[in-house]
Amino acid sequence: MTDAPAQRSATAEFCLGVRHELPLQLGVIPFGLVFGILGLASGLTSLQTILLSSILFGGASQVVFAQLWAAGVPPLIVGGSVSVVNLRHVLYSASMAQYLAHLPLRWRILLGYLLTDEAYAVSIKRFQDGPKTRYQHYHLLGSGMTLWVAWQISTLVGVIAGTTIPESWSLSFAIPLTFIALVAPSIRRRADLVACVVAAVLSLICQPLPWKSWIIISALGGIAAGWMTHYHTSKNTPTDKNPRPR
Amino acid sequence: MIWLVMVMTGIFTFGTRFVMLTGWVARGLPKWLIDALGFVPIAVLTAIIVPAVLIDPATEQIIVTHNARLHAAIIATIVALLTRNVIATTCSGLATLWVLQWWL
Repeated sequence: MTDAPAQRSATAEFCLGVRHELPLQLGVIPFGLVFGILGLASGLTSLQTILLSSILFGGASQVVFAQLWAAGVPPLIVGGSVSVVNLRHVLYSASMAQYLAHLPLRWRILLGYLLTDEAYAVSIKRFQDGPKTRYQHYHLLGSGMTLWVAWQISTLVGVIAGTTIPESWSLSFAIPLTFIALVAPSIRRRADLVACVVAAVLSLICQPLPWKSWIIISALGGIAAGWMTHYHTSKNTPTDKNPRPR
Repeated sequence: MIWLVMVMTGIFTFGTRFVMLTGWVARGLPKWLIDALGFVPIAVLTAIIVPAVLIDPATEQIIVTHNARLHAAIIATIVALLTRNVIATTCSGLATLWVLQWWL
């Protein structure tokens, strides 16, 4: 750790991670602001809203948590729904494993905690395309910490501003709009469309069910429908030349 | 109670990010599971979007006509498909909503 060139290359890799992550904060900071406002509006205390951003550290799952908690949903359903929302991280973890598995445990814990959508997106690209150095994991540290700091500060500002922004601005509607920005371009295959439509229909017809269980039911239903369509189409076309890149 | 749920879901979420870095799952995930997990974002986010757009928070009924949020969502979807930009999508949707709510 004391030799200067190695230290420099670790620092350089960290800074590169920061630089790659910064443009994505254009989308992250408004979302954090809105979450801060929404958390208070949902009846969470300032402290709970702020700490949720570091304990859960995942935008969509924090929104689901706040909305379900506000609606008085039983804790087990809240936990189950939030967990389903975050299941996708297993994929990130799996694809990062080959680059991080050799690291000491404390590194893997830290980088695992920082492994969010946005940090994954930029760092997996660097790991795949960049030089294979001993210090490449510093890139994920840089991108992950950039996102973490931006997310905490924007949540905090949102909590402070939340009391002053009038309800009539409908700022909480920014959250489904952000999700539209993520979902619409990601529908590329027929199976994606099926997952989307089934989840949409279930989310409406399951509304009368107790405990807001429509979230978890429509999510699982959409996943199952998409998977079955994918399985069916890939069985009929054995040369599937368009596997999903992630 | 809320703190307990926050911490438990936090631990679970950390678990989803950390599990494959532990080395316990030596051969990686089976292909069917990877395929299924690939549909998580679309299914989950759609399930959050659609009721937020179509269900009137006051009456808890589905509203299609005279629904400013539906128009905002349609504009946002078009902008999302054209630009693939989160800021442009969110701003266009909010702007549509404000115009419809306040000036019409």
